Amino acid sequence: MIAYKFLRSDGTSPFTRFAWPVPRGEPGDWLEAPIAPCRSGIHACRARDLPLWVGRALYEAELDGEIVEEPTKVVASRARLVRRIDAWNDNARDAYTRMCADRAHELAVGASPVLKDWDAVIEPSIREGPALLGFVAARIAEARSGVEAYHAERARQTAWLVERLGLEPS
Amino acid sequence: MADGHEHVSCQAVVELVTDYLEQALPPHEAALVEQHINFCEGCDWYVDQMRRTVATVGRIEEGHVPPETRDMLLAAFREWRRS
Repeated sequence: MIAYKFLRSDGTSPFTRFAWPVPRGEPGDWLEAPIAPCRSGIHACRARDLPLWVGRALYEAELDGEIVEEPTKVVASRARLVRRIDAWNDNARDAYTRMCADRAHELAVGASPVLKDWDAVIEPSIREGPALLGFVAARIAEARSGVEAYHAERARQTAWLVERLGLEPS
Repeated sequence: MADGHEHVSCQAVVELVTDYLEQALPPHEAALVEQHINFCEGCDWYVDQMRRTVATVGRIEEGHVPPETRDMLLAAFREWRRS
């Protein structure tokens, strides 16, 4: 199974700080770990999970062995990083952040009454990066129209990422 | 703990950090905490500090603590339990 993995700039996991064997002209080494979601196993994203886990560097990952699909992630007993997705660069991160900010304004101002408190946090949040702006846009959608709108906004963000980065939709 | 349908607040992260680091949270709650940490720099720092503290203090055995420090810590914890 092909999935995706966000890492920090130094190739470490954002949560465990594990240093991944990153691809250097050829795929990185295989890793193995028994599966226990959120505790053990190799965690990765399907395309639809990407907005929830947006990070600094994005890699394509090959999953193997036992694979468990969770609501917001996929966990495998064996995986390796195949390639870095170079299209997820500073320009793409900035464009995605701006897209989410514009969408958040549109949703907040279009609400009746206007979601002023939410609208006020959008621009100051931009310096915090794309993960926060994606969350802000989706939460404004939820505040305006309920939880289905939250998920719809996340799906919209996924579509943007899939198209911009040339990924396979999940 | 949820702030809305499936979100956690910074306050919830602070309350859940021990269970999170001890891997005692149900997977769904752990995922929500991690989603929050992913976009919240303050909580990311907080959780990382807690992780480092646990890693450091966890290496200290009772015999490594000077008697005066041990007495100060015990007094502080006694006072903390009264307050």
